[in-house]
Amino acid sequence: MPGMNSGLSPDDPTLVAAFRSALLHQGTIAFIAVIFLWLVWATARTWRLTTPSATPSTGEAGAASEAEGSAEAATSERVGLGEARGRWLLRIGFGVLWILDGILQAQPKMAAGLPSLVIEPTAAGSPAWVQHLVNWGGTIWSYHPIQAGAASVWIQVGIGAWLIVGGRGRWSRLAGAASVGWGLIVWVFGESFGGIFAPGLSWLTGAPGAVLFYAAAGALIALPEGAWRSPRLGRLVLAGFGIFFIGMAVLQAWPGRGFWQGTVHGRPGSLTDMVQSMVSTSQPRFLSALLSAFSSFVAGHGFAVNLVVVIVLAVLGAIFLTARPRLVRYAVWFGIASCLADWVLVQDLGFLGGVGTDPNSMIPMALLFSAGYLALTPLPEEPVEDTAGAGWGQRLRALRPRTLGGMVASASARSVAAVAAVAVIVLGAAPMASAAANHSADPILALAIEGGSTSLDLPAPGFSLTNQDGRAVTLASLHGKVVLMTFLDPVCTTDCPIIAQEFKQTGELLGAKDKDVDLVAIVANPSYRSTTFTQAFDRQEELAGVPNWQYLTGSVSQLGAVWRGYGVSVTNLPAGAMAAHNDLAIVIDGAGNIREEVGADPGPGTTSTQSSFSVLLSQYARQALGRS
Amino acid sequence: MMSGWARMGLVLACAGLAAGCGSKPQTAAAAGARSGLVTPSAPAVTVPLSTSLVTAQGTWAIAVMGGSAASENNFWQLFVRPTGAGQWSEVTPPGVADNGGLVAAGTGTSLVIGFRPSQNLAFSPLATSTDAGRNWTPGLLDADLGNESGALAVDPSGQALALLQDGTIQTAPTAGAAAAGQWSELTTRQALAASAPGRDCGLQALDAVSFGPDKTPMTAGSCERPGVAGVFTDTSGRWQSAGLALPAAYRDDQVQVLGLAATSGGNVALLLAGDSLLAAWSNGTRWTVSAPVAVGAVRASGFGTGGSTWLLLSGGRAETVSGPGAAWQALPTVPTGTATLAPGPGGGYDALAVSGSKLTVWRLTKGAWAKVQLIKVPIEYGSSS
Repeated sequence: MPGMNSGLSPDDPTLVAAFRSALLHQGTIAFIAVIFLWLVWATARTWRLTTPSATPSTGEAGAASEAEGSAEAATSERVGLGEARGRWLLRIGFGVLWILDGILQAQPKMAAGLPSLVIEPTAAGSPAWVQHLVNWGGTIWSYHPIQAGAASVWIQVGIGAWLIVGGRGRWSRLAGAASVGWGLIVWVFGESFGGIFAPGLSWLTGAPGAVLFYAAAGALIALPEGAWRSPRLGRLVLAGFGIFFIGMAVLQAWPGRGFWQGTVHGRPGSLTDMVQSMVSTSQPRFLSALLSAFSSFVAGHGFAVNLVVVIVLAVLGAIFLTARPRLVRYAVWFGIASCLADWVLVQDLGFLGGVGTDPNSMIPMALLFSAGYLALTPLPEEPVEDTAGAGWGQRLRALRPRTLGGMVASASARSVAAVAAVAVIVLGAAPMASAAANHSADPILALAIEGGSTSLDLPAPGFSLTNQDGRAVTLASLHGKVVLMTFLDPVCTTDCPIIAQEFKQTGELLGAKDKDVDLVAIVANPSYRSTTFTQAFDRQEELAGVPNWQYLTGSVSQLGAVWRGYGVSVTNLPAGAMAAHNDLAIVIDGAGNIREEVGADPGPGTTSTQSSFSVLLSQYARQALGRS
Repeated sequence: MMSGWARMGLVLACAGLAAGCGSKPQTAAAAGARSGLVTPSAPAVTVPLSTSLVTAQGTWAIAVMGGSAASENNFWQLFVRPTGAGQWSEVTPPGVADNGGLVAAGTGTSLVIGFRPSQNLAFSPLATSTDAGRNWTPGLLDADLGNESGALAVDPSGQALALLQDGTIQTAPTAGAAAAGQWSELTTRQALAASAPGRDCGLQALDAVSFGPDKTPMTAGSCERPGVAGVFTDTSGRWQSAGLALPAAYRDDQVQVLGLAATSGGNVALLLAGDSLLAAWSNGTRWTVSAPVAVGAVRASGFGTGGSTWLLLSGGRAETVSGPGAAWQALPTVPTGTATLAPGPGGGYDALAVSGSKLTVWRLTKGAWAKVQLIKVPIEYGSSS
């Protein structure tokens, strides 16, 4: 898909190092922010405890009284009902899963490799409109891989932590809503709608997408807690699963979808193929051996395996639809066992291989229907101490300058931890949001290709050449302006046209400062070097109308002197190869000194890497302009 | 004091932090490329650019060599056997990547090579030699030269014709103008198709350009109307049929002109009519058509001196015809890897066989092919990637 990847290796050391560095920096900031929040909270509590004036006046009451109250008041625990078991299971279970997913997102390959190794293959079988939508998201990621990769880590870790520490109350419900929002984003752009529009949809392989279960769980957590007091919610959840399982059983049993045959004309059937592909994933040997054995078993007994799967799905679906607690209890245990078996034998745990983004669908699915069962069978309600703290309305009413300290002091540890979790999310999301607003790719992609640049402070060798219009141009005639210089072969078939476009885009990125910069190319071909060819090149690249573009040429001796002066090697190669020369960009300041020398090899030559080089060059030009 | 929940938040933050460790450096390898232009009307048969031709300087041959997996590693090579010499040498003009293909046109004194555009190059550099390929003078056709071995023609005065990929014919009045990129439009496929002779033939595509005996531009192509051969000549700015009529046996067959060249007294054309290949010769006033030869997939074709014509067909078949009135003669099965044939010394033929970067020259001697030369071409693999 166009734009889906930068063309760089997911293992590119520059990108991996930059990703790691971004995570370390943001992690440090997150750590400091958490410590700061804890200190503020602890200080406020201590101060409120030891300051007599902090005691509430008798004339104040209600929310203000609670907010400004003493530490004892702040920690006073209201009597209420305990959190429903199903809700607790979802909150903790999916909190842990989000954190695990965040950690998986921190794998080295993720920053540069997610679009090409995960998103693109997932979307490949989907309809064109899905691919178009997914490609849009993948392009944004590819243009800003470091920010996007780090954002995914912190957003998911933050949501997970928020769910776990949020406990009950509005903070907790907001965490559920955040889980829905981010889950749907991942489901659409990361999982291409879980592949539901692609052929071969199967419960075994993860339909309808793991993250859809995360979103569903988030929605349940976001419900008012009263909804969990009634078995009705459990019946609804289980009915939903009942319909889902029966639908999946029908799909699994549908003739012609390839699930009934272990092998088809000597080639692996759908399930065999899936399991065999998992065998090649990098993983512990015992797991690989187990999958290999299961693959052989499926290949030889495809019909029987599929029959078992169809029966399991149909039975689970039917029992869940009955919503009879005793039956459902056995079905839940049976379902968990089935999910675990599929998770190990078919999905290969989901997160192995260096580009796994989550443990796939079986664990979240099992959590979700287990929560449904627990909601179906609520325990007798017993009053418990409610540590959720004061409500939002009370806190907002108390939000006055003289009561702020009191509010902080009265906040529960759970609330402070939830704020810290939200801060972690914001920490990741803010740089990504800022980067996504920029249509040019990050210069880190260019550095990944070029391996960095060299800062210099040398007088630029002089030259006297002829531009594309036949006018003489010397280095001295360019003094006062920053010169971005490169060496281009006018009949080059590969890099030179791309580099020329990068220079053109650099001028556009410089905006108003473009008038203080000359974009200069010098011919790098000893044979095809006349203005006939520089003009043809300009027409080809639509550079003829760029006012500060100069494509200079001269005699072989004139050009040779310039090539030597700037350390450029130009050679005619034999047997139908183009002239060989260095790909080089040089930044010369207004005083005629070389300030930067950077490799200009466009590498993979995709739009994002070109864009990133232009950004890098424009940054150097601005630095040189600052010195002039 | 920090509560248990606050401690848990810290632990989780640190867990995320720790996950950013570890790396495995590796190099990247992927490439993007701009697509080329689209041919408006593809002919029924596309003859490869592999060919040979004879000029006063010598015999020239064009063949593609190098890798077969990626077009960026296929490099077209030009070889010459100077007049009177027995050995071939590689003389591909330097300075331009020729992965898109080479097209040659010769006169008595010079040979012009056109580089077809490839990858990010959108125009066609030219190179002219007057010393059997020792030195080359660069030139420019600021357009996409056609993908046919007959897409370029020059006459002894230096006037040049170029058939472009989109069916336009451009002309340069002199060799100097051609070198300076001063080409102008002579006609287009659409304009020619709309003319009276174009309508008569139902012109679909143009496949070759040449000059007539009176230096008038000529072109040839494929006709939709059965039994009509599309060979046209430009007389004072007015295109007319060149008068090539096929025998009645071909009246139901669509005809495609695969090649067109100038001879000392006229022209020679290679025609595909139905499932037969024919040669046709003009002496300036009338055409003579050869007997048919059964068609196979055409691997290469070319013209020699005196109107001689050769064909390299699939299955190692090769056929030659020496000139007007002569019959096609089958050559012995050509050696494996033969990319093109070329007139050899003494009126025989050479088979140029390619294997990667090695060119083996086989010479037809006493009814059998004998290996006479091996050339190792220094192909710069990867230089166009």
